[in-house]
Amino acid sequence: MLSVAGLTADIGRIPVLKGVSISVAPGETVALLGRNGVGKTSTLRAVLGLLRRTGGSVSYQGQDLGGLAPHRLAALGLGYVPQGRGIFPLLTVEDNLCLGLKGKPPADLFAELYERFPRLAERRRQAAGTLSGGEQQILAIARCLIMRPSLIMLDEPTEGIMPKLVSQIRTEIAAIAKRGIAVLIVEQNLRTALRLADRVYLMERGQVVHEATPAALRETPDTVHRYLGVAL
Amino acid sequence: MSGGAAAWIGRGGLALLGAALLAVPFVLPELGYGFWVNIVTEILIWSLLAASVNLLFGYVGLLSFGQALFFGFGMYGATLAVIHWEAGFWTGLLAGTLAATAMAAVAGALAVRLTWHYFAIITVVFSLIFYFAAMSNKTLTGGDDGLSFSAPAVFDMAGVTVTLADPLAQYFSVLGVVAACYAIMGVVVRSPLGLAFAAVRENDRRARLIGIDVYRTRLVAFVLAGALAGVSGALFAFFGRYASASYMVYHVSGEAVVWAIVGGIGTLLGPLFGTALLIVFRELVSTVWENYLFAVGGLTVLVVMFAPLGLAGLWRGALGRLTAPRAAPAEAPADPVAPSADARAVPGGR
Repeated sequence: MLSVAGLTADIGRIPVLKGVSISVAPGETVALLGRNGVGKTSTLRAVLGLLRRTGGSVSYQGQDLGGLAPHRLAALGLGYVPQGRGIFPLLTVEDNLCLGLKGKPPADLFAELYERFPRLAERRRQAAGTLSGGEQQILAIARCLIMRPSLIMLDEPTEGIMPKLVSQIRTEIAAIAKRGIAVLIVEQNLRTALRLADRVYLMERGQVVHEATPAALRETPDTVHRYLGVAL
Repeated sequence: MSGGAAAWIGRGGLALLGAALLAVPFVLPELGYGFWVNIVTEILIWSLLAASVNLLFGYVGLLSFGQALFFGFGMYGATLAVIHWEAGFWTGLLAGTLAATAMAAVAGALAVRLTWHYFAIITVVFSLIFYFAAMSNKTLTGGDDGLSFSAPAVFDMAGVTVTLADPLAQYFSVLGVVAACYAIMGVVVRSPLGLAFAAVRENDRRARLIGIDVYRTRLVAFVLAGALAGVSGALFAFFGRYASASYMVYHVSGEAVVWAIVGGIGTLLGPLFGTALLIVFRELVSTVWENYLFAVGGLTVLVVMFAPLGLAGLWRGALGRLTAPRAAPAEAPADPVAPSADARAVPGGR
């Protein structure tokens, strides 16, 4: 589905990605893990074309994404929930949801969405910036889902969210995966990543240094400690 | 009272405004203020130029100081159509609007690649290039002296001809066109396209990531704004039976920016209120104080500092305080300074 091979990218003159190769199969949940500044977010941004790629290739459902403008990716079924939610705080909740749609939204679409996210229904006429951090994250995920993507890329979805809401967001991500939507998640929270992912990539200094299943990773705590600096 | 009450008060205000505008040519002459009918007509016409600034700045976040260029194209499109093709009011209006729209499409294709001060500068540059071209090409434009023409027909059918020389025909033709422009703008800003405008204004990078073609969205807004300015220019040409290159200079654009800001950017009818206030101010004060523009400058600074949503924002704020339930705090946008999503509404309702 998503295939990234030998991806390199620079910020200014500093190389931030040095040949990243990852893949995500249909319906699979894949996590990118690593310490701060190892290139996890840069990988997502380079896939989306927000960071200038200097080498390697990115293809999605067999189509080369090289040279494709970022706004065309949504139409291909590639959803993205950026770090810090990426909602439009001055627009209402409902306007935020409608933004992903062409034309007037069908009523049943909202009914289904509001049934799933009742907090959004309660606050649909409210400015999105007045929602709590967790609610904004839910809104960002809902807005992404309304566009019916086949792959969702989530960048640090639980960052800065109160612990009570982290489990709700985790549940939502698991529900997305159950619906057959592939998920590529960048996550600092190791527990969350291992619980959700089918496969995990560990990154260091702009490269993928290790690939494993969560079960295999749990059996090699030294690797986790070496690349993430935490104990399992 | 609730939000529903606010909407009803807003609708009432809008109906009152409509009724007042319809009554103007009948009531003011009766009261001995016949001269003010022309001032109201002028306000209506200029407000469309301010609305074109507002469409770009208030809804898409692009501050243009070059709308006079499209005003000039509208003006000359209409004038040349009347002079060379003996066009009537409606054909001339169409010619002026099309000329301005075509120019906006060309200028916009380059200008909307830029944002912020770069965008503002390029719009001024475009305006200056065509201002000097129009001033020097006297054969076509008449330069500073301009071109004049006789009042064309508004209605010419079954042996009945009504021209713009008829004050009522002129007033109601202008009012009808201006009202139609505001109605179209109202539909646009509430449509998915209007939502895309708001998303681009708020954060173009995020907008791009949810599939909005930011360049195309900005270009559409630029062309629409150019068309509005063109309608304004064409109406002004008909109002004065005259077109001059001097109206294409950048300070005409600057005045429109001031009217839009004072009236309330990001609000549909704000530019109408801002234009009305400042033109009435000009008419009352300029006869006794030559440097009245100092006061206009001071007023603009005060509005930017203390009422960033202008007159329309003050009206909406008052309405909000009047209708908000006392027990529950009002749901306000996160940033009280920036234009809110709600700012897309007509002051006091739709």
